[in-house]
Amino acid sequence: MSKLSSLLIKFVALSLIMVGAAAHADETCMSPYMAKIVGQEDFVYVWTLGEEGLGDEQDKLVTIDVNPISPNYGEVVNTLSVGGRNEAHHSGFSDDRRFLWAGGLDTNKIFIFDVHSDPAKPTLHKVIDDFVAKSGVVGPHTFYALAGRMMITGLSNNKDHGGRTAMVEYSNQGNYIVTHWHPTDEDLRGAEKSGKYADGYGYDVRALPRRNAMFTSSFTGWTNYMMDFGTMLADPEAMKRFGNTAVLWDLHTRKPKKVFDMPGAPLEIRCAWDPNHNYCFTTTALTSQIWLMYEDADGEWQAEAVADIGDPSKIPLPVDISITSDDKGLWVQTFMDGKTRYFDISDPFKPKQVYEKEIGAQVNMISQSWDGKRAYFTSSLLANWDKKAEQDEQFFKAYTWDGDKLNLEFTVDFKAKKLGSAHQMRFGAYGLYGLKRPYEAKNLVASGE
Amino acid sequence: MLILALLLMSVTVALAEPMSDIRLAPGDSRQGYERADYVTDSLSIPARQGISANLLANAQSSHLGLPTLSSYEQEPPDAAVIEIGRKLFFDRRLSGNKTMSCAMCHIPEQGFTSNELKRPIGFEGRGLKRNAPTLLNVVFNRRLFWDARESTLAQQVWSPLLAVNEMNNPSVGSVVDQLRKDTQYDKMFEQAFGESANMLNIGQALAQYQQSLLAADSRFDRWHFGGNRTSLNQLEQKGFEVFTGKGSCSSCHHISDQHALFTDHQLHNTGVGVEDSMRQTPDTIEVQLAPGVLVEVDQKLVSVVGEVKENDLGRYEITLNPKDRWKYRTPGLRNVALTAPYMHNGEFLSLDEVIQFYNKGGVSNKMLSPLIRPLDLTIEEQTALRAFLGSLTGSNVKDLVSDAFAAPVGDVSQ
Repeated sequence: MSKLSSLLIKFVALSLIMVGAAAHADETCMSPYMAKIVGQEDFVYVWTLGEEGLGDEQDKLVTIDVNPISPNYGEVVNTLSVGGRNEAHHSGFSDDRRFLWAGGLDTNKIFIFDVHSDPAKPTLHKVIDDFVAKSGVVGPHTFYALAGRMMITGLSNNKDHGGRTAMVEYSNQGNYIVTHWHPTDEDLRGAEKSGKYADGYGYDVRALPRRNAMFTSSFTGWTNYMMDFGTMLADPEAMKRFGNTAVLWDLHTRKPKKVFDMPGAPLEIRCAWDPNHNYCFTTTALTSQIWLMYEDADGEWQAEAVADIGDPSKIPLPVDISITSDDKGLWVQTFMDGKTRYFDISDPFKPKQVYEKEIGAQVNMISQSWDGKRAYFTSSLLANWDKKAEQDEQFFKAYTWDGDKLNLEFTVDFKAKKLGSAHQMRFGAYGLYGLKRPYEAKNLVASGE
Repeated sequence: MLILALLLMSVTVALAEPMSDIRLAPGDSRQGYERADYVTDSLSIPARQGISANLLANAQSSHLGLPTLSSYEQEPPDAAVIEIGRKLFFDRRLSGNKTMSCAMCHIPEQGFTSNELKRPIGFEGRGLKRNAPTLLNVVFNRRLFWDARESTLAQQVWSPLLAVNEMNNPSVGSVVDQLRKDTQYDKMFEQAFGESANMLNIGQALAQYQQSLLAADSRFDRWHFGGNRTSLNQLEQKGFEVFTGKGSCSSCHHISDQHALFTDHQLHNTGVGVEDSMRQTPDTIEVQLAPGVLVEVDQKLVSVVGEVKENDLGRYEITLNPKDRWKYRTPGLRNVALTAPYMHNGEFLSLDEVIQFYNKGGVSNKMLSPLIRPLDLTIEEQTALRAFLGSLTGSNVKDLVSDAFAAPVGDVSQ
């Protein structure tokens, strides 16, 4: 039983959040409406891009066993090919965490995987292929669970395939409900344009339910995110088509309230955990800054650049970020130099980089455990933005963090295994569904317990 | 009750929005983005609504400044055929992964081309090596593509439909089968052609939609062909003098007595292609990161994330005649103010850059067209020339764009 008790898996119900036990996940970066894993995760699901000329060339969900006590620790235990190269990108669990929704930014297909029946072997439950026909939005990006709903951020639209876009709300059953367009100058939708910009772009979404606040950031449209990265950098017109805004929304009414100027493509949004910490971080990909959105003493939300990341003039390109569950640390990956950087954010207005490590020739995503002791990294940014030739390393790397440094535990080489390009990670665990780990169940029988 | 009344009022207002508001430029305006004081001027996507136009009438009627269509067209225009072509043109299912339509590179409000990048991208983001041409008045091009390799629109459509870096349909038959299986399309083809979709009538339909995109009766046309002396201002009239005189622009961009297509239908080496193929790669490039934020970036950094640029030898690629290296078709200049960026590779972002390029005599090379030479235009003359080029926008372009906004966008539906 001691092993079972060490699972440390618990569900955080909405009622708990209402009384102040705020809880996100990445395990530390996901929706507060969702059960989270606070102990040892069993699996990492890697939403993987198919690559021409490699293996079966198509997108797939790769399941890696990450539990050190498992006989399969460090191994790929399942792959599930879905057909086509859809520009696999991000994914998110439904609020009951039984299904994983994963999107393709090019074909706009949404693959809903059953991860609860057998967490070791997800199955394809449903494919939504009329996302664009229903919403007019292109590029389903973030899948963010709200109560009974899935909020999907878009990156583009089916009219000019530029950056103006919307959030699209679906039911947990996979039915389209409504499209929430981002505020533009022509139609601010009741929002205040606090600065010079209201570009209508979108990217990520996060919510602070106790403040009735929801935040979105802004990236670029289909034309740019599908384009060869080097070609784009050399195309001055294309480089003008990036988002420079973040938007504060009323969570309950889904209405935009305030547009913040945030030049240089703010991407991932991570909100603090402590019930008294009314702030969220984001980083700008092109201008390499950490931004803080915070509620001031008058209850007004503000946005402020609080730190540089590396040398912005060298375009380190900060991509994924992850906040620790104690709100004291922020991991920031810089794609171009392949580094992860750890910022002390004890004072959110003065983030200070205290550690860095090169993970590979390129690095994008991070997922850390709730206790912060484990961190996983993957390499791919976008199919046509990834580095070329031998610098196009594609990997999943598992590290432990001892508080001072990262220690590599194992690597899965996605090229050598002919899997594709490794993108977003999500955690799975038997305990979430009241299931016992099969190898532990066997041990129990063998030892006569 | 009050809320309902307010709702009804807002709907009425939205419907009453006049079409004259259509902006002939990207709805996501980036005018002045180079400067730190840039402010957005973005349009709403849901408000991008239009009114269907009578495209048959547009194809059949005479347009001041254009020759009659009958001397150019392959088939007499037909409303039902145009309607199929219009539907196909905006249909994103017409590609290998059901994601790309013709209209994604030929964006209506962007001059039926792409203003937002030098060279468009195709299937799975694969790069194209040449700028997307406008489709306004495309029927008057005697040859198609920048290297003039194709002769008719009805044939031309199959190149992008099948090209692996464009729409990447696996075969002619797969497109034909897809349309035959679609009950809506099948009905339309039967009604228009008396037969199911096939390779020929698909080409005809897309060709006829493009043939209907005639756009003239510009302020220039009214002044030059219509006798309206005030239709061009003094600066524009001065620009016309430069265009036909000192600037020698009209030696390639022809204007005839009765009409003007602003092209000689020939191919020329201006040096743009030579420069592209032969120049040394600079050590750094300037990259804009945000409004007013520019950095010099080491070329090595760009190369690490960039594919090797495909070479482009122009007409030579068709004829294999070394004399045809870096020759490209002279584009017409109607609606040229709407079709940035310019040249076969989209190298120049503005007409000012184009004028500066020709003013210095192009790029010297062994095969430079003898018509290209330093022009010695004053700043005032260049300004006038720029103003003149702005007068070539057809009076009915907004109607065509509005019609395109009203067209259905084909997407996969369950």
